[in-house]
Parts: sequence; structure tokens; C-alpha cells
Amino acid sequence: MQEKIANIKTKALEEINNANNAKELDEVRVKYLGKKGELTLILRSMGGLSPEERPIIGSLVNAVRDELEEKIKQGENRFAELEIQSKLENENIDVTMPSKKTQLGSIHPITQIIKDVEEIFIGMGYEIADGPEVELAIYNFDKLNTPPDHPARDVQDTFYITDDIVLRSQTSPVQARVMETQKPPIKIICPGTVYRSDSVDATHSPVFHQIEGLVIDKNISMADLKGTLAMFAKKCLGEKTEIRFRPHHFPFTEPSAEADVSCFVCGGKGCKVCKGEGWIELLGCGMVHPNVLKNCGIDPEEYSGFAFGFGVERIAMAKFGIDDMRLLYENDIRFLKQF
Amino acid sequence: MKASIEWLKEYTDIDVTAKQLADILTMTGSKVETIEEQGNEIQNVVVGKILEIKPHQDSDHLVVTKVDVKDEVLQIVTGANNIHEGDIVPIAKNGSTLPGGVEIKTGKLRGIDSCGMMCSVGELGLDINNYPNQIENGIMILDPKMECEVGKDIKEVLKINQVILDFEITPNRPDCLSIEGLGREVSVSLNKPFKAPRKNIDKMNVENKENIDGLTVKITAPDLCYRYIARVVKNVKIAPSPEWMIKRLNACGVRSINNIVDITNYVMLEMGQPMHAFDINSIEGKHITVRRASKGEKIITLDNQERVLTENMLVIADNKKPVAIAGVMGGQNSEIENNTQTVVFESAVFNGGSIRKTAKAVGLRTEASSRYEKGLSPENAIRAVNRAVELVELLGAGEAVEGKVDVYPTKQKVNKIPLNVAKINNLIGTNLTKEQMIEILEKLEMKIEENMVIPPYFREDVEQLADVAEEVLRFYGYDKLGTTLINAETTLGGKNKQQKILDDISKFLVNIGLSEICTFGFLSEKDLAKCNITGDNIYLKEAIEIQNPLSEDYNLMKTTSVPSMMQMLANNNNYKNKNVKLFDLSRIYQNKDQAIQKGELPLESNILTLGMYSEEEDFYTLKGIVENILEISGIAKFDIKKEKNNSMYHPGRCANFNVGNDTVATFGEANPLLTKNYEITQRVLLAEINIDKITKYARKNKKYVSITKFPAIERDIAMVVNEDIEVGEIEKIIQRKAKKSLEEAKLFDVYRNEKLGQNKKSVAYSLKFRVPDRTLKDEEINGIMKEIIAELEKTLGAELRR
Repeated sequence: MQEKIANIKTKALEEINNANNAKELDEVRVKYLGKKGELTLILRSMGGLSPEERPIIGSLVNAVRDELEEKIKQGENRFAELEIQSKLENENIDVTMPSKKTQLGSIHPITQIIKDVEEIFIGMGYEIADGPEVELAIYNFDKLNTPPDHPARDVQDTFYITDDIVLRSQTSPVQARVMETQKPPIKIICPGTVYRSDSVDATHSPVFHQIEGLVIDKNISMADLKGTLAMFAKKCLGEKTEIRFRPHHFPFTEPSAEADVSCFVCGGKGCKVCKGEGWIELLGCGMVHPNVLKNCGIDPEEYSGFAFGFGVERIAMAKFGIDDMRLLYENDIRFLKQF
Repeated sequence: MKASIEWLKEYTDIDVTAKQLADILTMTGSKVETIEEQGNEIQNVVVGKILEIKPHQDSDHLVVTKVDVKDEVLQIVTGANNIHEGDIVPIAKNGSTLPGGVEIKTGKLRGIDSCGMMCSVGELGLDINNYPNQIENGIMILDPKMECEVGKDIKEVLKINQVILDFEITPNRPDCLSIEGLGREVSVSLNKPFKAPRKNIDKMNVENKENIDGLTVKITAPDLCYRYIARVVKNVKIAPSPEWMIKRLNACGVRSINNIVDITNYVMLEMGQPMHAFDINSIEGKHITVRRASKGEKIITLDNQERVLTENMLVIADNKKPVAIAGVMGGQNSEIENNTQTVVFESAVFNGGSIRKTAKAVGLRTEASSRYEKGLSPENAIRAVNRAVELVELLGAGEAVEGKVDVYPTKQKVNKIPLNVAKINNLIGTNLTKEQMIEILEKLEMKIEENMVIPPYFREDVEQLADVAEEVLRFYGYDKLGTTLINAETTLGGKNKQQKILDDISKFLVNIGLSEICTFGFLSEKDLAKCNITGDNIYLKEAIEIQNPLSEDYNLMKTTSVPSMMQMLANNNNYKNKNVKLFDLSRIYQNKDQAIQKGELPLESNILTLGMYSEEEDFYTLKGIVENILEISGIAKFDIKKEKNNSMYHPGRCANFNVGNDTVATFGEANPLLTKNYEITQRVLLAEINIDKITKYARKNKKYVSITKFPAIERDIAMVVNEDIEVGEIEKIIQRKAKKSLEEAKLFDVYRNEKLGQNKKSVAYSLKFRVPDRTLKDEEINGIMKEIIAELEKTLGAELRR
């Protein structure tokens, strides 16, 4: 009996080894381990054995069955693996074929600069303010210490709707509106469209964009202004950017300054963009004129503040290397997609 | 304002290079735009004395000369015929250069060595008009009275070694539109003493008279003329000015005319006070009136142009006629002539705004008017006229008549500003002592009396503490200013609801392939017409007109963003760009209820405009994008309604999305008339989304609803309806009848064929029912389905397909 079992084992193992595929392997399994399989039949015939023999033969058959089952499983796994491999070989593709991606659009370079600037100032605790583009002359001029005789009010510079209503020539009227409606502390920037009576050419446009900043609180100083702008310049134009203040004059600030930044193209060595100077004029700024504070209902004895403003187009052109302002408004998709 | 360093040196010592000076002045507020170095091209040209002139043996028109140039005696052959032995002339030596890149080298002329060249005025690059004693086609003969010793560099002799700085002067500093004012700035900037060369003028005391030599003055418009001073000069000898004066005038860009006119210009440049000189004989009745012009009054100005005046303009007039437009330009009728005997010098101060407007109105912005318009000091006016008279005597151009006529109705105000040291330090962020501040202010000639700052007469711009602070900071140094960070209450900052929504929307649009454009806020009636907007259309009626537009193409403010979008699509179409998908975020301006006419502002709305032409996109792609935009903004419920009356759109392919009573978006295919007008051959898709209204309805507060564990029941329903029934109506009925148990109604099939009959279509929906708290029973759904079907049959005449 034991010999018979050993023969079955040898035969079965040989057949398992010789099986060429999963199907043949399964046939082997049925032949030996199935309901009517050779090994199963031996187990069933154990009733005819003596009580002494039964446990010995029983455990022997079980051991052989376990071994065969294990071998069959190994074989099955091997065939499954082979099958996957052959499938993979058949599914080989050309990965260099074009993709099915969505063509991305783009944000206009002017908006990109505005968004960059907004992000920097939001990080410093500023809010973004907004105001009308068709504006009362009072806000565009009078409240900003620009009386009716002032040259800035000339028809050559400003678009008039009526004598008292203009297209805002600067974003500064937003300052006046915010000061009138909000109590200090005020920390805002106001990006926006402004209008001046200039014909379109490579460096001029009747419609362009400005970003204005305003801070009003107790004990705000000109050194705070310089510190704020120095930080802004580094974040917007690069960590190595230096800032320089020069005295200047604006009706709505006193003291006033023009701020230059070290040329972010050549790093201050002198190039075409900075006209060999190493510095680029960035913006106008200063301490809010006491008259402006008074005009907007803020007590200049208690509060002080600073304001600054700059043209977005100039920065966009310098930063992206755009040599003609008209490109910004022609909206050729081949231009837009570069940003 | 141009100034030569030579002239500035009269006021203070300058021991730095021109470039250094320019940099220093730029940092103290007098920005130097350019540095011009005259005579750079002239090298190695010296003064020579002609020792002998002999004929050339082989030529009739050449002569051979011997010239002493100090180190040597040169033999020079020349064709000039205006030279004599003993003449002093400019000699270009061997190896010298002249303007225009000319190089002079030793050579032979008709066989005889010539070791240099004698120069004419033109060869030195000079303007013959400035050298009245010289001839154009001859050698320049130097005046032995000049400092012109033999061998000296010609540039020094002729003062063509000048370095000229061109300043950008800010409008608050009219005092710096003068050499004197700039000289003061230079002296303080370099920390050198101010030499005050006009001290004698300041001390001069000229008696005030009712009339001098019969001349009287009256001001009838004291609001426009603050001071008028006249002095008279007799026995005038009109002649050319001396060279030193011409040089200085030229350096400032002013041409020499004659001694009297030059003196007026010289004083203006030196002291910043415009002067006028006229012939006393041209003053009818010898009586000067400063008055407003009468309407239509005419004058021929010095530039030979007739000017028609208005009653807003100020004139200097005699008893019969205007003789000058005050502060702008003199009249031809009182011009200084070569035979003028008696001259009146006028030094006056006018209202700046009035002069500016007059100059603009007559189209004459002169050196005088551009100074007056900034507001000049009446106290300076008296100095100027006395200086002019002093120069007349210095030049021997005439004899001063004693006394002056000085009408001075409005005395110049003296400002007194309390010196609050702590406030100044707080404002500029410095830690200066009172002594440091006073030191700076006193250098600027401000007096400190009883702790009050009293600015000098020429600094009318210093009115309050902030102005004093700026002066302190200018000379403490803007570059020394620290960089501190605001030490104040913390503010949160951030974007508001609308700004956040816009960020989300623009990110979404870029991700699905749209590019942002930038458009102008203008349009014209023509643009609107191209977009099929004419006549009574509200877009035309509510458009705001610009009084002074750049052109007729830009005369209205946008009431719709469609024309600019169409134009940008057309541009891209012209460039042959394919699949163009754009968005524009800009404003429209609507004159609602005649707001402008009432002095109020128009309604400004933020509009997001989408525009595309593409092979891949159709109405339903666009509809999906607009729906996505509403979803992104947090608007869950909106109705769609077909829009047949918007003339810019295809009447059968346009719709509005409405929330409450507001239309938040209009979208669809552009009317084919538009695509034709803009020459685009493809269909154009357009959408206008009102961002302000979207913001009004946007709800961003999200709340979790538990995910139900109960199963859904699905039922399909197919029906045949008339072609004109919109699926939206079917959906509404399904939703109304299914009530809350309906989770989703999905259209999955629409088809048409002959069997259905003409004008019929089959529409099929898949409905999904579910409630959160229990499993629905089939019987319930059967009941609901029955109701839905009954209602569809009743209201829409639908035939159920089984």
C-alpha cells in the first residue's frame, strides 16, 4: 500500500512538472486529487485497512496530498505569471505618441503682475480695495490736494465726461474713498485701470493699469514706507533687489520720493533696460499730505500714513522683456500663450 | 532747466566732477537728466599769433604764414584773405581734432609744408550768429582784449569747454528755475558756503514814485497781478551783448538778440523772474494798465502771430491797446528796435493758474509763462528789475532813471511754522536733534525765531510741518533713511468674496484652455453698429460720451463688452490663429436714469466675457462652461430661459441664466450678422457673465449632508413629444411631480425618425429615486411615475413609449 502511494506521488509530481499550461495542470489535479482522483480513492478505501494501519496510511496520504496541492499551486502561480507577461508583451504601446491633454489657457501678463503684487501685500496684512473708473473730479483731484488750477487737470491729460466727472487718471481716488469710509488702521492696495489722454504707441496707451498702496495709522513713518517697499521689491523682483529713494514732488504726498530699484535685468551693472544707469525708476511715493488726510476726514495730528503708486505695464514690460506696449492690448493668442 | 557749471560756480565752489555733482544733486531733489560736455570734439587747438604773411610762390590765392603758438613757430599755408600780421587766431596744430571728426595733420600745399590750420567760426562748430564781429568765410580773429595769450587752449578762451547740466525741476520749486536757486541747492548739497553774489542788489533801495519820466502804472485786476514794477533806462545804445553773456545764455539754450533783450533773458535765467522790456514811445499816454482783455481783442505777438484774446486773459495795455499778453509774450507794437532810446523794464508777478490757462489757450508756452504758472515770489521781482538796471550800466547800454513805479497790491505772505522736532522725527522715521534740524534749515536760509521756522521769500512752497520735514530729510539724506517695518496694529488683510470668486473662475477658465485678454473701456457708435446695436437700443442709449475723446473710435464708454471681444476674436482670425478661446474681465458703464446729467456716477458692473471660435466647441460646451462658473461661485440654483431678443446673439441659440429676478449670464452663438461684420467665417460663441450679480448670490458656506445607506430605485421613461417642446419643460414636470424622492433625472436619448412622424421627437430619461431615511418601495415609485406620466401627457401632449 505504501509503495502504491509512493508510486502515485512520483507519477503525480512528474506530471505536474510536465504540465505545459494551466489547463494541463488542472487535469493533473483532477486525476489525482479530484473526487474520483487516484489519491482520493485510496483515502476512501481506507475502511478495509486494519486499525493499526489506518492512521499510518491516513497521515501518509494526507502528507502526499498536501505536497501535491502545494506543487500544483506553485505551478498555477507560474502559469498565471506567464500569462500576464505575454499579455504585457502584446500591449506594448508607443509612449511618444501625442497626449490627449487639455490645452491650457493663460492669464494676461498685466493680471499676472497684479496678482503677484496682491499676494505680496496680502501677506503683509493688506486688503484689496476698488473704486469707480468713471469718477467724480472731487475724488480724482480736489481731495488729493490738486486744486482746480493744477496742470494735472488739463484736458490734454484727463478725459472728461462732464466738468465734474472724469475717467480716473490715477488709482489714488480709491485712497480718498477708503479714507472717508474706513477708520484707521488702513492698509490697502488698489490695482485698477486708469485713463489718460495719450495716443497709443510703443510706450503709451490711453488706458493702462496702476497699483496704489495706502497705509494710515498712528506713528507711520517714511522709514516704514522705505522698509515696506524694500521688502516688496525683493519679493517681486528678486532677493538681490536694492531700493533707493530720491526726493520728488507730488501734490498728495509730503515728503515725497521717487523710488528706484537696482536693475533686475543686469543686477545694477548697467544695461539697455536701465539705460546704463543700474537703476530703474519704479514708483512714486511719500507721506500722505496733511491736506489730503484733512480732506478725507482723518486728523493729521493723530494719524499719519504713506502712499505709493506705480504703473503695471512698465513693470510687466521690463520683467517679461516686452518691447512694445501695443502687444499687451492686441491680444494675439500667440502672444498671450507665452505667459 | 539748463545750467552750466561755470555759471553755478559764481554761487559756490564746486570741487567735484560733473558726474559726481549730477549724482549728488539728483539725491537732494534736483534731478539731473543729462550732462552735456561742450567742445569735447575740439582737441589741441590753441591761440596763435600771426608773425608774418608772405605770398606762395606757386599760387595766387595761397599765402605762407609764420605763427607763434608759444612752444614753437609754425609755418602754415592758408587761402584765407581776412588775416593780417599780428592777428590772433585759433590754430589747429598737427594731430588736432575738430567737430565732425575732422583731423588736422602736417602736409604740403602746392609744394610747401603746412604744419596746421587756422580755423573759422564754423570749423570750431560754433554758430556764426553768436559772433557778430566775425565773418562766415574767413578765419576767426580773436579780440586781443579777451584773455587769449598765445598757446592757450581755444576752448578756454572761447568758453566752449562748458559742462551743462539739464535739470528736471519739480513744479513746487520755481526758485530752481534759476541759476541762483540751483546755486543755493548746489552749495547746500556740497556743504560749501553760498557766495551770494547779488548781495548788493538785495541792499539796493530804489525810491518808489508815482511816475518816472511821465510813466504811470495801474492794476485793475489785482486778483491776477500781485505786483508790477517798472524802471526806465534812458539814452539806450542797442548793441550786441558781450561774449560772456552770450556764452551763458547759449549754455541755457537761449539765443542772443541784443543787449537789452539779452539782459531780460539773462536776469530771468539768473534769478528766475521773467522780465519784459519795451520801448517807452510805443506806450500811448505813457500809462500802463494791467487789465483783463476784452473779448475779441487782438494783439500781434513778437513771433508775428495775431492772437485773439478773451476776458479771462490778462494784458499789459497802454491807453489804447494791449502791448503784451501778461506773462506770456510781448507785442510787436512795443518791441525794442535798433533805434530805441528809452526802455521800460517790467518785472511783475501774476496769478500762476491764469497765466497757465492763457498760455494754453493761445498755444504759447514760453520760458516766461512756464515760470509764472508755478507761482513766483513778488519779493524777488524787485531784485530782478534792479539787477536788470545794474546790468544795463555794467554793459554801458544806457542810463538808469532814478526811482521805480511799484504797484504791489497783495503783499507776499510770510509763513511761520512751529518747529516740532518730535513730530518731524516721527514722520520721517529719524532720530535727529533739534540742533541738527536747525543746522539744515539755516543752510536753506530759513530763519528760526521763537521755535518757529520762517522760510525765505523764495521758498513759498514751504507751508507746513510736512514741508519742513521734507527739507530736513533732503539734506539729512534720503539714502540714509532707515528701512523699518510698520509697528502698528496688526491687520488681517486678504481678499473679499468677489476677489476670491474671480480667482477661482479665472483659474478654472485657464485650466480648460481659455486665455485672458486686456481690452480698453472705450467704444464707438460704429462698434455698436457692427454688433447689430442701433437706434433705440439700451446699449446705445445708456452709453456715456467722453467730452474730449482721443478720436471718434473711442468716444463712448463701453455699455457691453461684446464689441471688444468680437474685435479681439477678429484680430486672431486675421492672424489665422485656430481654436481661439478668450476671456475678458472688464467693466461696463451704464448711464442709468440719466445719472451723469444729475452729476452722479453711472452704474459700473464687472463683466466676465467669454468668446471663442473653434472646431471643437458648440453651444452646449459653452453652456457647460457657464454652468461650471456658476457652480464654482457657489450658485446651485438657477433657471435657464431662451433669449430671442438680444440682437447680438443668434435668436434661436441664445439663453439667459436667471437667479431670482436677476439675469446673471447671457450666452449663445453670436448673431451671424456679427461674424459677417467682423469677417469671421466660423460660428462664434459668446457669454456675458455679470460678476457683481454672481457675487450677490454666491454662497460658499458648505455643509455636510450624510451619505445615505439606502438603495436607489431607477426607472427609465421615454416619450414622443412635439419638436418645439423643450426638454427643460419635461424636466420641470418630472421634478415637480417626483418631489423630494427624485435624486437625479438624466436625459439619455433624443432621436427623430420617420416612424415618429414629422415634427416629433423621442426623449428618454433615466430617473433615480432615493430618500435618506429608508428604502423606497416599488409601489411608491409606481405611484410617482404614474403622476409624472399623467402630467406629461396632459401638459405637453407627450405619448409614452412602452
